[in-house]
Amino acid sequence: MKTGFMQSIRALIALKPRQKLTVQYLLSLLIAVLLAFLVGAGIMLLCGYDPIACYAAMFKGALGKPRAFGNTLAKTVTLCLTGLAMSLAAKAGIFNVGGEGQLYLGGLAAAVVGARLNGSPVWIVTAGALLAAIAAGGAYAWLPGVLKVKLKVNEVVTTILLNSAAIYFCSFMANGPLKTAERGIASGTDAITQTAWFTPLIRLSNLTTGVFYAAAITLLVWYVMTRSTVGFEMKMTGTNERFARYGGIRADRLALWGMVFSGAICGVVGFLEVFGLHHRFLTTISSEFYFDGMLVAMIMRYQPFGVILMSFFFAILNIGGSAMELSAGISSEVMLIVQSVIIFFMAAEGGISDIVRRNAAARRVRRNARRAQKEARV
Amino acid sequence: MSDVFNLLLFQNTLRTATPVVLCALGCLMTDQVGIMNIGVDGMMLMGAFFAVLGSYLFGSWVMGLLFATVLGVLLGLFYYVFSITFKSDEFIIGVALNILAGGLTVFLLRTLFGVKGSFSSPGIVPLPTIHIPWLERIPLLGPILSGNTLLVYVSWVLVAVCWAFLYKTPLGFHLRASGEAPEALRASGKSPERMKRLASVLCGVLASISGAHLSLGYLTMFSENMSASRGYVAVACVIFGGSNPPRVFLAALLFGFIDALGMRLQKYIPSEITSMAPYVVTVVMMVAVVVLRQRRQAARERAGRALDGR
Repeated sequence: MKTGFMQSIRALIALKPRQKLTVQYLLSLLIAVLLAFLVGAGIMLLCGYDPIACYAAMFKGALGKPRAFGNTLAKTVTLCLTGLAMSLAAKAGIFNVGGEGQLYLGGLAAAVVGARLNGSPVWIVTAGALLAAIAAGGAYAWLPGVLKVKLKVNEVVTTILLNSAAIYFCSFMANGPLKTAERGIASGTDAITQTAWFTPLIRLSNLTTGVFYAAAITLLVWYVMTRSTVGFEMKMTGTNERFARYGGIRADRLALWGMVFSGAICGVVGFLEVFGLHHRFLTTISSEFYFDGMLVAMIMRYQPFGVILMSFFFAILNIGGSAMELSAGISSEVMLIVQSVIIFFMAAEGGISDIVRRNAAARRVRRNARRAQKEARV
Repeated sequence: MSDVFNLLLFQNTLRTATPVVLCALGCLMTDQVGIMNIGVDGMMLMGAFFAVLGSYLFGSWVMGLLFATVLGVLLGLFYYVFSITFKSDEFIIGVALNILAGGLTVFLLRTLFGVKGSFSSPGIVPLPTIHIPWLERIPLLGPILSGNTLLVYVSWVLVAVCWAFLYKTPLGFHLRASGEAPEALRASGKSPERMKRLASVLCGVLASISGAHLSLGYLTMFSENMSASRGYVAVACVIFGGSNPPRVFLAALLFGFIDALGMRLQKYIPSEITSMAPYVVTVVMMVAVVVLRQRRQAARERAGRALDGR
C-alpha cells in the first residue's frame, strides 16, 4: 500500500485546523507581505517599470474612486464567501478544492431557474434561483463528500477533476441546449427579468444589494464555526479525533455536511454573480475565484474573521492590479506572483521561525560556552 | 464511424498520453517518499513555457529541452526547500506553485513576447519525430509505434527505468524507505531528507519535461494555461496505479485513449462533452480502483481471521 497520499491527507486533517492566529503569526504575515511587495518591485524594476508608480497606481485603482472602491468591495465579498466555504469544509476535516465547479453549476442553476420564473413576482424569482443554486452547489459537493466518507476516495483529487468536468458541462449547456436566442451574446443563457436584478449600491460599480446575502451567509458561517455545537464538534475533531469519536461525535457525518455546506456557499457565489453582475449565465462567470478564496482561507488558517480581513487585502491586489495594467502598463499578472509569494512565505512561516529560533538558541549556547571558558581561564 | 476507430486514434492516444505519463512518473517519485505533490500541474505549465523560450531563443529543440530540465531541477529544489526544510504544508505549496505558474507564464508571455493568449512562431523548433525502420515493418502496429516525437520513446524507456530504479537498485530502495519508514532509514545511516530531495528534483525534471512535450511535441506553441489540469490527472493516475510505474503508465494510456477518442468524436458529439469525458472517466476509474483495492484487502483480512480462528 502506498503511503504518500494517505499520510499527507491524514497529516493535513490532523494538523491544520488546530492552528490559531497568534500575534507572532500576524507579524510574520506583515513581513511576508512586505517581502512579497519587494519581490514584486524587483520584477517591475527588471522589466523597466517604476515600482513606486506601479504600487501607487494599484492602490489608487482599487480605492481611489467610489466606483473602484465598490468593485474592490464586491471582489472582497466573492473572496470572503469562497474563503469561508473552504474554511468550513477544512474545519470539518475535508478539503473542498472543487468550489470552482460548484460555483459554475450554482450560477447555471440560478440563471436557468431565474429565467424560467420570469414574469413571477420578484421574490419568487430570487428565492427560486437561490434555492436552485444552493441545491446545485451542494449536490455537486455531496458527490465527492460521499465518495470520501463512504469509500475513502481522496477528495482533493476528485474535487479538482470534477471542476473541469463541471466547467465543460456548463459551457456545453450555455452553447447548446440552453443557449439564448438573443443576439450579441456569445455563450450564455437567457437573461433574468430586469426587475429581479440586484441594484448597485455605488453607481456603476459591481457592488450591489447582493452584498446583504453575502453578509447573512458570513454571519451564519461565523456563528456556526465559533458559537454553535457543530462548531464545537469541528474543533474537537480537529484537536483530537479519537477523543471526539469517543465523545460521540461522528466525524464522517461532520465531514460530509461540511462539504455539502461548502458547496452550497459556492453555489450562492454563482447566484450572486448572475443576479448582481451578468444577469444571465455566461461561461466567463468566474476566473478561478474559488482558488483565490481558498488561498486566503489557507493563509488565515481557516479563521472566519481573518478570512474577511485578508479578502479585502487580496481584493485590493486583484482590482488594483487590473487598474495598474491600464495606467502603468505593466501586466497585472505581476500581482498574481506577489500573491503566490505571500502564500509561499506564510506556508513556510512555522518552519522558518523554527529555524530562526533554533539558530538563535545555538548562538546563545555557543556564547555562554565561550564566556564560561573565559571565566575558567581567569 | 470508421473515421473514428482507426490507426490514427492509437497514434493520438500515444501523443496525448505522453505528457501525463511523464508527469505521473515524476509525481510517483514524490509519492514514494511520502509527499503529495499537486504542484506538478504548475511545473508542467512552466516547463512548457521555458521549453518554447529555449527553442525560440536558440532555434534548437535541444536548448528547449535543456531549459525545461534546468527549470525542473530548480523547481524540484524549490519544492523541497519549502515542503521539507521549511516544513510547509505540501498541499498549500502545490496550489501556490500552480497559481505562480499561471501568473508567471502569462506575465512572461506578455512581457517577453508581447502577446496575449498564445505564442507561436516559425522560430520555435519542435521536437524531432523519430522513424524506426525495423518497427515500421511490423504490420498494423508499425505505423503506430514508429514516427512519434522523441519524448514519446523517452517516456517508454523512463517507465522501465523508473521501475528498475525504484525496485531493483539500492538507491531506489532507500528512496522508498524514506517514505515508508524514515526512522529505519535514518537508523541505517542514510538521510531520508536527501532521498526526499532526490525525489523532489526528479519530480521537477519529469514534470517540466512533460510540459516540454506539450509545447514542443504535441503542438508547437505556448498558450495560457495549456496544461489544462493534466497535472491533476497525472496525480489521479498515480493513485490508481498505486505508484507502480508500469501500472501508472497503463492508467495514463487509458486517459490518453479517452482524450484522443473524444477529439476524434467531435464530429458527432459537441466538443465540450468530449473534453469533459477524460475527467469524468478518471474520477470513475479512481473510485473503482479504490473500491476494488479495499475489497481485496477486506478479503485478505477475512482469510487471515479464518486462519487465526483455526
